[in-house]
Amino acid sequence: MNFELSQDHKVLQDAVRDFVTREIKPIAMQIDEEHMIPDELVRKMGEMGFLGSYLPDEYGGAGLDMLSYAIVVEEVSKACGSSGVLISAHTSLACGPIYTFGTEEQKKKWLPPLNSGAIIGCFLLTEPDAGSDAGAIATTYRREGDEYVVNGAKIFITNGGYKGTGVLFATSDRSLKHKGVSAFIIDLQTPGVEILKNEKKLGIRGSYTTAFALDDVRIPAENLLGAEGQGFKIAMDTLNGGRIGIASQALGIAEGAFERALAYSKERKQFGAPICDLQAIQFKLADMYARIETSKLMTYKAACLKDSKKSYTMESAMCKMLASEAATYVTKEAIQIHGGYGFICDYEVERMYRDAKITEIYEGTNEVQRVVISKLLLS
Amino acid sequence: MKILVCIKQVPDMESRFKANSQGVWFEETDLAFRMNEYDEYAVEQAVQLKEQLGDAPEVTVLSIGPDRVVEAIKKALAMGCDRGVHVQDPAAATRDPWQIASIIASHAGDKGYDLILTGMQSQDRGSAQVGVTVAEELGYACATTLVGFAFSDGTVTAKRELEGGIKGVVRLRTPALVTCQLGLNVPRYPTLPNIMKAKKKEIQTIAVAELLKEEPLATTVSFHPPARKGGGIVLEGDVGVLVDQLLGILKDKTAVLR
Ligand SMILES: Cc1cc2nc3c(=O)[nH]c(=O)nc-3n(C[C@H](O)[C@H](O)[C@H](O)COP(=O)(O)OP(=O)(O)OC[C@H]3O[C@@H](n4cnc5c(N)ncnc54)[C@H](O)[C@@H]3O)c2cc1C
Repeated sequence: MNFELSQDHKVLQDAVRDFVTREIKPIAMQIDEEHMIPDELVRKMGEMGFLGSYLPDEYGGAGLDMLSYAIVVEEVSKACGSSGVLISAHTSLACGPIYTFGTEEQKKKWLPPLNSGAIIGCFLLTEPDAGSDAGAIATTYRREGDEYVVNGAKIFITNGGYKGTGVLFATSDRSLKHKGVSAFIIDLQTPGVEILKNEKKLGIRGSYTTAFALDDVRIPAENLLGAEGQGFKIAMDTLNGGRIGIASQALGIAEGAFERALAYSKERKQFGAPICDLQAIQFKLADMYARIETSKLMTYKAACLKDSKKSYTMESAMCKMLASEAATYVTKEAIQIHGGYGFICDYEVERMYRDAKITEIYEGTNEVQRVVISKLLLS
Repeated sequence: MKILVCIKQVPDMESRFKANSQGVWFEETDLAFRMNEYDEYAVEQAVQLKEQLGDAPEVTVLSIGPDRVVEAIKKALAMGCDRGVHVQDPAAATRDPWQIASIIASHAGDKGYDLILTGMQSQDRGSAQVGVTVAEELGYACATTLVGFAFSDGTVTAKRELEGGIKGVVRLRTPALVTCQLGLNVPRYPTLPNIMKAKKKEIQTIAVAELLKEEPLATTVSFHPPARKGGGIVLEGDVGVLVDQLLGILKDKTAVLR
């Protein structure tokens, strides 16, 4: 067993860190305040290869592995959770299923512009009445000639505001439940796709969370992803991999907050000494760090399992759960260590605290992760 | 055309240093290492020249040190160098500039490099001797502290930084060696696809014993980390003067105004 990153992964980590320090960190606060990631940054992240890290180079990806992807999302999220989830949802939830389930023609057509960042991808599963119970979706499709016609509504779609390429889930017959669900690749510029709104949120404010109305949207039959009726399986498999991305995002947010809390504890003096001399603060730092390291080990393990083509469902559920709970805990304690200053926006841990919460909710709430883990234990 | 870039991996200079058990250098454990800042300018300039000359030059990047320095070599390969040479030397940190320069010169001696680029100095030892000594040993023309670089028809036109912000321009016929200073260029980020491509580039490993024949000329006898910082600097007086003082300190001691 060897718990050290390989030299290649260290080179990558160092390169991503440099980019993040110079290009993202200085504008993270602005991204939160303006509810917007500048197009310029999205373009630069595309040039860096952040938007297709683990996809093969024949489809315009960087050809790296899942662990490299986890490192990218983690490092970016240390500075900006919004940019982290842009990468994660785009890569895991849009590029991922097209690569895994797409035909050769579909991959050749859709992946290169996604992997270069020219087009931003999203994943359209959740609906007003179907969240954790994704098999209950009510968006319908019917076949008409060589097209599918889709009607319904989708909500909470990360990256939806870019109106790029989506992986869309719809049912042929709601009474069939999950067996009726199919997946489609959709160009969100298609007539009938309407953005109802981009939500205002507690955190990850730079990330779009979009509600769509789908009104007689015509999708070419060739855009069916996988076979009809396979959609639910595609969704679950995709989220399985996606959880590694969210765990990495959560891990990065936690590390970003920890770095600041540790530095602040050494600078801030009360009662004539830095507050890190107080055992009350030292114990907080110990608890924070231990949770970060635990989450990191599990996240990297899940990524390595996926890379070695082993089963990773259990580990991806565990890393998502552990890292997101580490993130909410660590950011909360980071504010506490900052005292009143932590509550003030200028100190950034306030933003990180807000950004952390969503990681316990999306891509399967942590209650759902516990269901997944315990089911596997008892099966 | 053949180009050689010599790079060093140095610790993050913000680290807290302590002396090693022999008391002659810093203890390496727990330090994070990266490519020497000035060497990044050298790598970038070499890659820019390669691009200017339509990919024709072959750019070799060389580093002397323990296995960890391969990380710096790989970064340089991901930035666009073609091949790497790792002179494996676990004791590199104890060598004096004369020995390091001799190692490089004995590698470069029969390779016919037209141009060699190095950093102006290393961020940790800071002797600024290696580049010029290599040039001397090889009989190359040499210019130091470059802040501007142009190349055509076998001639390097170099803008040098002199004291107090004065610049001077010198011309050198190749074969030549130049040392690079902050301000020369903005090093590119290695992109993910290029990091992937770099994995396929050759890195030749050479044991230091094959190249090192020289004894040190200046042996380090002791090492002194800075005392733990006190309460910082307090500036007092007239605001106008204060601003100038502060600007001076920010310029000299930090990277914020670069
Ligand atoms: C910012 C943001 C971005 C999002 N991005 C996307 C996206 O890109 N694409 C997409 O399709 N969706 C996205 N979502 C949707 C997200 O995945 C869902 O919100 C999430 O899965 C929970 O569904 P829900 O909100 O309907 O909650 P519900 O399912 O109604 O859950 C409510 C509560 O009940 C609990 N609960 C529900 N079922 C069970 C169970 N079986 N056992 C135990 N507890 C249970 C939940 O854990 C939760 O505590 C996003 C949501 C947000 C807020």
